[in-house]
Amino acid sequence: MSSGAPRKYPGYGSSERTQYAPYSAFDIPADLRELHGRWDVEAVAQRVRNYRYAEEWSMRILGGWVATIPELPVKTGLGKIIWDCAQSADALGERLPELRFARRPTGVALSPNPDFAKLVEAISEPEDPDLTIEKLVGIFEVLFPHLVEVYEHNIRHTDAIADAPSIELLENIVARHRRHMAWAEEVFDRLVDTAEERERREQRRRELGARLRACGGVTGDWPIEPENTVEAVRKEKST
Amino acid sequence: MKRFIDHSELARDRRFVRQNNVLSTILADVEDNVEAVVEAIEEHAPLIENSVRGTAAEPLFERHGPGMLLVRPNEPMDPAHPAAATQLRLRLHGVFVGELQALEGAARSLWDFPDAPWEFQMNMARQCWDEARHVQTFEKLLDHVDVEPGMFPESTFLFECACSEDPAMRVAGVNRALEGLACDVFRDTIRYAEASGDETLRQAVDFVLADEITHVRFGSEWVREFTRDDPEYGQRVQDFRREVDRQFSFGGARSARKDASIPIAREDRLEAGFSPEELADLEELSARGPSSETLREALGVLRERHEARRQAG
Repeated sequence: MSSGAPRKYPGYGSSERTQYAPYSAFDIPADLRELHGRWDVEAVAQRVRNYRYAEEWSMRILGGWVATIPELPVKTGLGKIIWDCAQSADALGERLPELRFARRPTGVALSPNPDFAKLVEAISEPEDPDLTIEKLVGIFEVLFPHLVEVYEHNIRHTDAIADAPSIELLENIVARHRRHMAWAEEVFDRLVDTAEERERREQRRRELGARLRACGGVTGDWPIEPENTVEAVRKEKST
Repeated sequence: MKRFIDHSELARDRRFVRQNNVLSTILADVEDNVEAVVEAIEEHAPLIENSVRGTAAEPLFERHGPGMLLVRPNEPMDPAHPAAATQLRLRLHGVFVGELQALEGAARSLWDFPDAPWEFQMNMARQCWDEARHVQTFEKLLDHVDVEPGMFPESTFLFECACSEDPAMRVAGVNRALEGLACDVFRDTIRYAEASGDETLRQAVDFVLADEITHVRFGSEWVREFTRDDPEYGQRVQDFRREVDRQFSFGGARSARKDASIPIAREDRLEAGFSPEELADLEELSARGPSSETLREALGVLRERHEARRQAG
């Protein structure tokens, strides 16, 4: 190489730099993500275990109901949703060893508290063929919307760079649950026709919703109070 | 929600009627003897009549009397046979409700055995999606041959036989016996579709068969896993599967016999994890039962008696 030619690789002297212009993570494309999320590694692992608990039990409850639901398109529609929940639970389990939580897959699910476990049990209770509305409300109008809210909150408030794998898998799960809820909405449009049926739907939603709020949801700390958000914490630190 | 349900609790909409499950096992327990077959069928004549009233199978009863049960398993399906369209319709409806029960069986395994290994639960969850697609596929195929769900009575005998409360037996019953039977039925249905030039039927059933082989493989692997350290338990599970397979052979209608209407899909079963010894055993146990000649003669006798009863008023 002639001495005047632009260098492709750095040399040992300060004059032996390469020809390439410097770019950092803050240039092109602009990386607007910030370090530091609301949770540390252990706390994220704990939340992932909570999510896994909700996804696993959703899969099992829906599996139990398939035989007890007389409406054929609901029966068959649940088949795919069961598999989606299984994949979500599995992906959450796969994330745990990456967060220093390595156990056998069956031991990873964790309810945040006994009351959330009781809520899940209450959701699973209806089994009579007359109770398709009550069954579907528990999963599709109480639990899944709650999970979507919590997962999206998690996506927004975890460390956007360091915890990106959690974000990506939660985004996938959120997309699945949004499809599930849209499917259920169509089912409700067909199933809920009379004033009595509307009242059954509303009452079930009220009852389970109250229990969900009382137990703090899937992570035991929901709803998130404004003073605990990551933005509030950052603001407090900066002042 | 309780663990474990009875087959009578499988929920259906108002289009469906049930057939007493006893009727599905009559031929599995009868000798190769015309009188024995006639007697066994006559004994259940009121049940048979009751199960078809108000369904599309009623004209069959009008024509053959209780001997209508012998029309379907009497001989291999042949597109040139005048009864081929009826046979195909009955078979596709039978498969449709069989897929429904397979979906329900796999789904219940998730609820009934929450402490089973996670990989097992993943396999069952995947099977739920597959079986749900099979129900949807066969619902379309029913439409393809002008049949409505519920047009014929449903026997829940598959669920009743296969759904044990023991996880290894459940998987042996549902995934090896029931899904194995599905492999046999589908391979034969593909043969029929090729012979009749029905490409829609052939392709759809071929996809379903590919899934079923996977499900039988799940069963083969999980039975091995569940019984790995307990040979005595393994033998009990194998005995359970053999008994279910004997019932699912319908007195030789599903067998390796030349006159079987559903031949054993040997190559598919080998691919799905059945050993050559198990297949030899299946061929032996499924071959028992009345021959097609016996059934044909019995059908003639039953038809004559039915006609005589009608004329007598």
